[in-house]
Amino acid sequence: MTTQTQPILSVEKLNKVYPNGTHALKGVSFDVKKGEFLVVIGLSGSGKSTLLRCINRLHEPTTGSILFEGKDITNIKGSPLRTLRSRIGMIFQHFNLIPRKTVLTNVLTGTLSRTGIVSSIFGIFPEEDKKKALSLIELVGLTGKENRRADNLSGGQQQRVAIARALMQDPSILLADEPVASLDPATSHSVMQYLKKVNEELGVTILCNLHFLSLVRQYATRVIALKDGKLIYEGSPSEIDENWFQTIYGEDAVEVTID
Amino acid sequence: METQETALPHTMGPTGIAQMKRVISAYTMDLLHWAYIGLVSYKIIYQKVIMDMRDPDFSWNEPVFALAIGAIIALGLFFTKFSVGRAVKGLYDLDENKSIMKEPFTLLGYFTIFLTFIAGLFISQVSLREFFSQAGMLGAKRIFTALFNPNFGIIEPAIFAAIETIYMAFIATVTALPFAFLLGFFAARNLMSSSPILFFIYNATRFFLNITRSIEPLVWAIIFSVWVGIGPFAGMLALCLHSVSSLAKLYSEQIENISEGPIEAMTATGAHPIQVIWFGVVPQIVLPYLSFTIYRWDINVRMATVIGLVGGGGIGTLLMQYQGLAKWNEVGLLAITIAVIVWVMDYSSSKIRESIK
Repeated sequence: MTTQTQPILSVEKLNKVYPNGTHALKGVSFDVKKGEFLVVIGLSGSGKSTLLRCINRLHEPTTGSILFEGKDITNIKGSPLRTLRSRIGMIFQHFNLIPRKTVLTNVLTGTLSRTGIVSSIFGIFPEEDKKKALSLIELVGLTGKENRRADNLSGGQQQRVAIARALMQDPSILLADEPVASLDPATSHSVMQYLKKVNEELGVTILCNLHFLSLVRQYATRVIALKDGKLIYEGSPSEIDENWFQTIYGEDAVEVTID
Repeated sequence: METQETALPHTMGPTGIAQMKRVISAYTMDLLHWAYIGLVSYKIIYQKVIMDMRDPDFSWNEPVFALAIGAIIALGLFFTKFSVGRAVKGLYDLDENKSIMKEPFTLLGYFTIFLTFIAGLFISQVSLREFFSQAGMLGAKRIFTALFNPNFGIIEPAIFAAIETIYMAFIATVTALPFAFLLGFFAARNLMSSSPILFFIYNATRFFLNITRSIEPLVWAIIFSVWVGIGPFAGMLALCLHSVSSLAKLYSEQIENISEGPIEAMTATGAHPIQVIWFGVVPQIVLPYLSFTIYRWDINVRMATVIGLVGGGGIGTLLMQYQGLAKWNEVGLLAITIAVIVWVMDYSSSKIRESIK
């Protein structure tokens, strides 16, 4: 029973000040419960990306602490840090696939942390990993494209490759940094559907940054909002009314929907 | 609240120091600029051009005096619109709608360029009289006639020497490759700025590359020909060393320009730093590297010819021998051979580079 109530991730009083003096996060605290689809909203520059990158320590938090599965991971380094990162999948706005490499190779890079350095450099991956990669490519609907060059695929397909790569890590949580911000509306929904599938069918907890409230209402199970680095809202997506919208996005903002 | 208050002066400090640094370097620039104008005007324009002195006396007091004068004039004009240093360092509050082409400091800049041009004409002893003189024209006619009547009798040694040159350039490029590949990573700022130790290695590498690159392969060839004896090996070593530093520089710039995305993604999977470089960096740089390397081979073939002139072997050495004997018809054939090699290399290297883009 205790595992049910214990959050998979808890962020406490997180502060991030960049070397140039930008105070990106100001005392942000929140919990991520196991199995939920938590969406972070806020304007550009509100600190959403910084928040996600502090969690897998692509950026170093200035003060505060991050607990992942009950362990403090704020200051770990070296090999333990790499093991931690392998437990956290991440997908990006610009997909960040490796150019000139095939879809299969790109998906296999999700196993780098458990593949030996030398064998990975020579492109030797275990057979079971290859099988798993093929089944994940099937899961994201790209069967038949495994030997295509990843940079020749469309944006939506590339993002699906990125999802497969992240799933290859067997993550217990998936961070998604604006996963649909550079996609057209139809493709956006398709990618979000895949994330929903990953969340519901594979039970992977998802922490996702989004711009469009219409997508938030459709996919999120819970929402937090950041403004100027501060957490100003935490609740269910349906509770975001006109007033909250204007608090989060500013007085002049008009809601744009994406269908 | 307290952290905010202590943070403020801390952020003010560096900008004040930066401003100070800018003012000092602007003034230094002005000082050297005026000292240069003074020295050139006196030593060349006055003594050589106006007084027509053959060998004017030189004393170290003159540059020192020029610096002193420069310091005074620069100080006097620093707060007027005649300070080039302030303009370069962006210390003027200029009207954006007005062209800077007619500002006093720009005119002063034009004047310095003009002065340098006049001084340059005299220092390089440019003389139209000698260019069109009777004896000069005869000499030119003699050499051009010989060059355009090449002696095909030596085509065999010429081809063998050319082959030696091409292979020497190839070996120099290939040997340089692994060293340049490694040093390229050490010289890439974006990979090396994460810790003080790495940053030190970065600076040391850059320093080494700058020193070796700034010394011409010709000079290296002379050094190595004393070391390993005159011949293709000395030339190869010279080209190799220069190729390492030039390629490493080009490689590192390529690494600095790559997209950070794949690096970030690989780091996020928990990959080891070596894997991050292999999967996040290498695929992005392979083709530009290949292109640079082929281009470098092309350059090396051309340089190998020149290096032959100082005993680096190959067609350059042959050219030097015939030139020493004043056998101009043979020199003519060698010149044609070199032109053909260079043209073929240039053409094929650009074709290959186009096709792998």
